[in-house]
Amino acid sequence: MDEKREREGIVLTEAQLRSRRQRSIAIALALGVLVVLFFAVTIVKGPAVLNRPL
Amino acid sequence: MSVVDHNTLELAPVRISEAEVGDYLALLKPRVMSLVVFTALVGLALAPGHFHPVLAFTSLLCIAVGAGASGALNMALEGDIDAMMSRTANRPIPRGKITREEAMAFGVTLAFFSVLTLGILVNWYAGALLAFTIFFYVVIYTMGLKRRTAQNIVIGGAAGSLPPVVAWVAATGSISVEPLLLFLIIFFWTPPHFWALALFRSDDYARAGVPMLPVVAGPDATRLQILLYTIVLVAIAVAPWPLGYFDAIYGVTSLILGAGMLALAANIYVSRERSQSLRATRKMFAFSIFYLFALFATLLLEVVVRTIAPWIGFGVG
Repeated sequence: MDEKREREGIVLTEAQLRSRRQRSIAIALALGVLVVLFFAVTIVKGPAVLNRPL
Repeated sequence: MSVVDHNTLELAPVRISEAEVGDYLALLKPRVMSLVVFTALVGLALAPGHFHPVLAFTSLLCIAVGAGASGALNMALEGDIDAMMSRTANRPIPRGKITREEAMAFGVTLAFFSVLTLGILVNWYAGALLAFTIFFYVVIYTMGLKRRTAQNIVIGGAAGSLPPVVAWVAATGSISVEPLLLFLIIFFWTPPHFWALALFRSDDYARAGVPMLPVVAGPDATRLQILLYTIVLVAIAVAPWPLGYFDAIYGVTSLILGAGMLALAANIYVSRERSQSLRATRKMFAFSIFYLFALFATLLLEVVVRTIAPWIGFGVG
């Protein structure tokens, strides 16, 4: 068993796996919000989205 | 004889994070963020002209995330202080849930994306001002002033005063007197609010070595400063009414709330006995939050009234 663990490298505990999964989902949601935001503003502004002051 | 030693490298044990999403949310200082979002919302509402709701939402989101980034960077830089103070000892870094490096990376990432998104989707003036706000809070206040001078929260208060200005600039692409008035109100509100907190937490601040006014100049000098700043605050908060920038609803509310602030500041000034003083400062701290919230809520109400008045037949013709 020890030999197997050694071969596998670092084995995460249940708590570590759970928190990593939670963080991954949160990052995915944040990226999703960013994509939706850029899409929505592109639709709202139309071609003017390329016209940015400064 | 071998020229190579077969030594095993002693590596530090790998740290695997067990931080949950809630810990990262705590880094954003949600209560501070909610006040930032609210004041920014008022800045947006007061801005003239039509501003598309999607752009308004985007602006508020970027300002909120920028404020959260400032909070995370502040906690990353103040982990040592937070661990020594009872008010902050339960934050994710002192608890060991998140390392300072992780908080720093989180804060920098959020700051980068909030500024970039506001710049690209709304306008770069607002993006630049948001970047300046984050810079001011993190570099000028947290790194520069916090541990060096009793004027830390006076000057540093500028960062917390900027969100309605950022919102106004996002909506209009320019600056005007109204957002500067909002800036001044928050700017002069900050010292009495935080000094009231510092008075009943002065042992905490002294233990952490933070030179807050009660620690450096003593409670009596702080009481006087709270009173003086409150007088200036109330005058500045009422001034936009006679100057014609905000309407009578705001003016009257500002007068009533200002009287409450003055009474509590005077109460702090005369309450020198320990238990009385503690009660007076706690009251002031709590009321000052309500004061700012109510003042800005009144401005929002004025905008709503002005918007719906023509629809229900008031103020037309």
